[in-house]
Order: sequence, then C-alpha cells, then structure tokens
Amino acid sequence: MSAPFARYLARRLLFAVVLVFVAASASLLLARLAPGDYARDAAGVTADPELVARLRARYGLDQPVLTQYGRWLARAATLDFGTSYLYGTPVASIVVRHAANTAILAASALVLATALGIPLGVFTGTRRRDTVAGTVVRGGSVLLLSTPPLLMSLVLVFIAARTHVAPAGGMSSLDVKAGIVPWIADVLTYLPVPALALALPLAAMLERVQSQAMREAMGEPCIRATMAKGVPRQRLIWRDAFRLSGRSVASIYGLIVGTLFSGSFIVENVTSWPGLGRLMFQALSARDVYLVGGVGAAGAVFLAAGSLLSDVAAAAIDPRVPAEGQRA
Amino acid sequence: MSTAIACERDPRASPPAANDALAPQRGGTLTSSIRAEPRTFNRYVHPHAITEWFTKLVHAKLVRVNRTSDEIEPWLAEKWTSSADGLEHTLTLRDGVTFSDGTPLTSADVLFSFQAVYDPKTASPIASALQINREPLRVSAPDARTIVVRFPRPFGPGLRILDNLPIYPRHKLEATYRAGTFADAWGTATAPGDIIGAGPLVLAEYRSGERLVFARNPRYWRRDDRGAPLPYLDRLVVHIVPDQDVELLRMQSGELDTPYSEIRAADHLPLKRAAETGLIRIEDLGPAIDVMGLWFSLKPKPKPDPRTAWMQHEDFRHAISLFVDRQAFADTVYLGAAIPTYSPVSPGNRKWYSAAANAGEHNPQKARALLQRLGLSDRNGDGLLEDAENRPVRFTLKIVPGNTPVERGASFLRTELAKLGVAVDVVVVETLAFIDQFFKGDYDATYWVAQQTDTDPVINIDYWLSSGHGHPWNLAQQSPATEWEGRIDELMRTQAVTIDFAERKRLFDDVQRIFVQHEPVVFFAVPRYVVVLNSRVANATPAPLASPVLWNVDTLFIRQAR
Repeated sequence: MSAPFARYLARRLLFAVVLVFVAASASLLLARLAPGDYARDAAGVTADPELVARLRARYGLDQPVLTQYGRWLARAATLDFGTSYLYGTPVASIVVRHAANTAILAASALVLATALGIPLGVFTGTRRRDTVAGTVVRGGSVLLLSTPPLLMSLVLVFIAARTHVAPAGGMSSLDVKAGIVPWIADVLTYLPVPALALALPLAAMLERVQSQAMREAMGEPCIRATMAKGVPRQRLIWRDAFRLSGRSVASIYGLIVGTLFSGSFIVENVTSWPGLGRLMFQALSARDVYLVGGVGAAGAVFLAAGSLLSDVAAAAIDPRVPAEGQRA
Repeated sequence: MSTAIACERDPRASPPAANDALAPQRGGTLTSSIRAEPRTFNRYVHPHAITEWFTKLVHAKLVRVNRTSDEIEPWLAEKWTSSADGLEHTLTLRDGVTFSDGTPLTSADVLFSFQAVYDPKTASPIASALQINREPLRVSAPDARTIVVRFPRPFGPGLRILDNLPIYPRHKLEATYRAGTFADAWGTATAPGDIIGAGPLVLAEYRSGERLVFARNPRYWRRDDRGAPLPYLDRLVVHIVPDQDVELLRMQSGELDTPYSEIRAADHLPLKRAAETGLIRIEDLGPAIDVMGLWFSLKPKPKPDPRTAWMQHEDFRHAISLFVDRQAFADTVYLGAAIPTYSPVSPGNRKWYSAAANAGEHNPQKARALLQRLGLSDRNGDGLLEDAENRPVRFTLKIVPGNTPVERGASFLRTELAKLGVAVDVVVVETLAFIDQFFKGDYDATYWVAQQTDTDPVINIDYWLSSGHGHPWNLAQQSPATEWEGRIDELMRTQAVTIDFAERKRLFDDVQRIFVQHEPVVFFAVPRYVVVLNSRVANATPAPLASPVLWNVDTLFIRQAR
C-alpha cells in the first residue's frame, strides 16, 4: 500500500467514525426533542398525569435533555449504548441482530442489482440508441426508477401471494432444521421478494449510469486508438472501455448503500423482514431514544462502510483518486 | 343477606356454536397476524393493544366479559356471592386450576396480582381501571380458594371490573417484585418458557419482527361438553405484518386464517370475490362499538386567539353538524358500509344505546343561519366566510396517520365544509406528537376516536366526567366548564353507584340526550364491523371488539381435510 493511499484510507476512516458519532447523537437528540415520549406511550392516551410523571422518572425522561445526552455519551464511550425502553435489553445486542438481517438483505440486493444493472448498462451504452432492445431496456429502467419502493414491494408481495412462487413475507420458516446450512437454505427462499423490491430500482440506476459511462468511454481517444488497431469489439468493450467507465460507476456505490438503507425502511415494513428499517420505525413510534440512537449509528456504519468501499474501489480503478482527494 | 350468582351454563364446558354443526376436531395450526411488535408481555406495565391481545391468549382472569353476550361469566372464579349492598363479593376459585408450569393457582396469586398492580412503584396503567372513584378495591383471602373483594362504594358495573386484571403467578414474579424490578419482568427478551399463565395457550417462540408461535397449554382448565380438554388447536402462529394491504393479500392467498382486526370498508369488495371461491367467509357483526368524531379543543388557548369566539362556540359545532350530510359521509368514507349517527354511543352497543337520543337533522340553511348569528359571513365574495374583523374562518384539523377512515373522513369534511365557506387545513401529525399536543390543548380540532373499547360507560367514566383525563375536548377540568357538563357529571356519578340496571340505563339515556344536544363531539357515521376468516376456521363467535376472533381461541378448531 502506497503512503498517499494509506493516508487517504486513514482520512476516510476518521470521517467514518465522526459520521457514526454525529448520526447517533443527532438521531437520539431529535427523538428526545420530538413531541411525545416513551412515558406517554407506556402510560396510555388517557393516563393520569401522576402516572406519566412516575414513568418519566423511571425512564430518566424527567432529566434535562443535555443531562440525559451527557450520560449516554459517557456510556457510549465504553460502547454501552444504553438499554432499550421497548425491549429492556442493551441496545447494541438488538441493533446487531437486526443489522445482520439488513446486511443480508442489502448485500443480496446489491449483488442482484449489480448483476442485472451493469451488464445491461454495458449493453445499452455500446449500442446505437435506436435499437429495439436498447429502447426496451432504457424504458424498463425509467419505469423502475420512477416506481416508489412501497409500490414495488406491494406489487412483488401481490405476485408472491397469488402465485406462491416465494413467501410473501417473513424471513424464516416454522420448524426449520437446526444448523447453518438449513438456515441459509431457508432464508434464501424468503429473500426473493424483499431483495428484488430493493434491487430492481438500483439495477435501473446502475444500468443508466453504466450506460452513460460506457458511451463516454467509447468516445475516449485511447479507446478509439485501440479500436483502430483492430482489437476485437467484445474485448475492447469488456477489457478497456469497461475499466475506463469503472470510476464513475464505483463512485456511486457509496450513494447506493445510502439508498439501500432508506429503501429497506419501507421494504422491510411491507415484507415483514426484521431488519434495521423496521426497528427504526418501531423505535421512533415509541420514542425509544436509545434505540433510535443505536439504529442511527448502525445506519451510519452502513453508509460509512459503503462510502469507504466505494472510495477504495475508485482508488483501485484509478490511482489518481487518493491524490485528488488530498488536493481537495 | 347475600345473593348467590347462579350460572346457567358453566363456561368450563363450551359446546360448539350453532353455526358449526361439525364435531370439534383436535389439532392443527391456526395462523393470524398482528400489525405491531409487542412492547412487553407484562400487561401490568403497558397498555399497548398487542400486549392486551397477548394477555387474552396466555393469561386468565377471575371473571370474563363474554364478548358476544356482553355479560360477565365465571372464569377462574367458578362462582361468587355478593352482599345486598353490592359492596362485598366473595369469589370461589375453581378446584384444580394450575398455571401452565403445573403450579396450582390459588388465592395467594390473586392477592399478589392486586398488590403488584396497585403498587405505585409498578406505575401500572391498569391500576386506575381497578379503582372505584380513584380508590382501590380491598382484597383478602380467607383460604386458598376464597377471595373477598370489597368495593369502597357501590359500583354499577359490579364484578365486571375484575375483567381488567389477568392473574399472574406469584411464584414466578414475586422475586422481581420484591427486588423492585417488576416493571422489567416479562419483557420481550424474556425466554418464552418463563412466561407462565393460566390461559389456553403458552408462548413457544417469539421472533422479533417476524412472528409469535403459541402452543396449547397442556394444563388449561377448560373442557368441552364431551369432557375433551381445550383448546382444540395445537398451535397458533401469529405473523407480524405491519402493512394492512399485505395482510389482506396474505389473507386472500390463504396464508392467514384471520387478521388481527376488522377489515376496512375498501377491502369488502375484493374479499367478497375471494369469499365466492369458498376460501374465506365474511361476517358482518353490525355497527362497530367505537365511533369516530370531530371535536374542537375547548380548553382555554395558551395564547389569545381571535378565532376562539367562534371556534369554541357551541353553535359553530351545531352548524357543522347540520351542514354535513351523514348519509353522504357514510357512502364516501365507508363506501356505504356505515350508518349515519349523531350519538357518542353506537347502536352496536346494544345494552346502552339510546335510539331516542340519537336524533338530528341535515339542514344546510339552518347551518348558515347559525354561522350568520355568530357574525360569520362572506364579506368579500370569495366564497369563504370571514368574521367581523374580516379574518377568514379557517381552522386546522389534526389527524394521526395510518388510519384510512380517519384520513378519508378528514378529507370529506374539508371538502364539505368548504361548501359552507369554512376553510379546513388537514394536517397529519405523528401519533405520539399529536397526543402531546392533545394534552396541551395545542390544536384547533381533530377527527379521531377517543373512547376506550368497553361497552359499559362507567368503565370509561373518564370520557364522560369533566374532571376526567379522557374527556377529550377539555381534559381534567377543575370544575365543570359548562352547566351541561356539570349535569353529565352528576348523572354519571349517580349512575356509577347505582346497581339497578334499568335505573342505570335511564340515567345514561339522559347523558346521551344532553351530549347530543350540545355536541362537544360531532359524530357522523358508525361503520359496520366486518371480520374475515378462512373457511377452515370453525366454531368462531366473532365480536365487534378488540381481538374479534381470537377472544375465544380456546374453542376454535380447524376443519381438517379427510
């Protein structure tokens, strides 16, 4: 690893740590400052104010916001993110469990989106615009990009429920046999609906970006020169132009991780996938401030990891990236 | 002198309902759904609807309100006697009842349950539902099977109050109670095997975000007419399906046997088509119990608001009531599956509903005249009303999200009131945020349901009393803000201590009459309560209250393929 690249990586890691801290703090503080609190949720709509006050004292909600935040910060420094009001257990253990489920879903969706979007992007980016196949792919992409995740999820659940080709919701079967292999096999049967719901719009986005990047790459002088030397077209596309287009595509993977996370919020709710999106919704609805902070931190970890990977990939494809980053 | 309560039929033995001539079949798995995660499995510390639903499946009470007859019936207590003054009740526990772990259920468990609920450290949201005029019941246990409950004053609903208390096992929870950690007991992270109850089912598995699996409680005390142990089901699997549209799809595909609650009016038609295939059956239970209404905050505004003069005026509410065509409301909001109403008590509440009090008219001319009398008229010819200072007649209607009838109702009112010249801004506010604003009186108006689900008005007395925390339009008044609220207070207080049902009914008819006369809440339509079941579910007796089908889960069975 070269020294500039190591410095670049260190900077990105530092940025990731700051992002996680800021996201967790902002989530917690916003949930705490929002009207309504967990004491009201636990007491009921028509509860006596005395009962609500007792519950506020029990959950520390009678303390000033900054006092509560300060205590949380002190504990967070030792990686104790507090105890969830809803679950009565440490936030970290709940978040890790749900984050793993979201990671399974997001990774599957990302692989699926890449497998669909990139080859289709190469295909449309290297063909004339007026071909039937190219028009169909472009039209499909525009349609998928303009379909909200909620609608996409509902359509897929509808198809699954009607055809029984895949379970319409959940993540595991009843009475699944013990062991990692049966578990993986079981989860794989539940993945198609949520993974496709997340992956299809992303695949469309990747197709569009890859298509544009390929079109630009094909116009580069170096590619034209290689073409003039009589290099076979397929080799030119997949070895030279594809590599050249890689930087702009790799750079949007960081954004895609963010999109995956926000998309999972809705998809997990519709398809009953027990991930971070659903957990965040539940935590926010009940004003479980520590859990909101924990999920916010986990979301930021996803974002930071995605952006880091995307930067590293861009740097690996184009060695000028760390130097550019340094100048910036 | 005491009165013995004789039961016509022991609910320990439960024959199949008349609509299912098929002999009960043992075994099988029933699937259902809930829309939210349980907050906790401890009903004593949380009022969440899912926790209450869970409690009905896993725990048992001394007496139970039969959801179809609306009468109390012996449950863990097999019989009781009551003193002539209605203050003292002596209950006898069934012989041989045990918790699901085999430990006998005795009067010590009942005493422990009362103690835990009443303890201020528990901060139980059900403690107030077990009080009469804010005083607790006094409970003693002369022996292992006898419980004496003394009311601080006569109480109209009588032992119905005990339907609020699931009996918890002392041997399982006393240690946490003594340690001061009772509020943390039976959280959702608790191992299912540690949750012990005397109800028909036991929790076998909880996968957060996915499902709850219940198994038959092998030590459940009820038997059917033939002496076979209940419940019939081997298992109940409850999927967590937050989205009601997805719940409907899964119902239509046969993945669910019955959803969590009633179905929406918009879902009637697609489900009717599925019913024609024989997969499901739809049961119309008549008018729902809870009715949604429009009300204005009548609390004094924290900051001076010139609109108060008309917005909090009774005539303004009457004008709205007179102007809105209730039949059109029912047809638009509930697609015809509703009946027009003026009353806070639904005709679905057969025991307490007063048809005579439910009177009103649709009279737009009179509505306009009332507004004119308030000094509201269209002064600049723009089609909207202005007050004497030329300020527009405009208010904000805050609603909570995720409830289709609320959203459609608010939208209908905005459109209709615009025709009257009143501008309505509908604002959707997240539920807890709205509750916060509601308690501060920080809203103009809302369209919501404010009553708790119980048919007996005294169980919901906080709704009617001006001092009540559930008196939605003007909470917790020091003294009645209006003369008519004072009259309702008096009638309800008398009603609460009256034992004779006919007299209670007469008093409550008066309450309904005064309410409709002054319309602190304007009601428009009461929806029909329609439930759906997979055709393989037998022996169901649905009721238009929470847990409409699973309330009698112990007698449900699955028609198995032969």
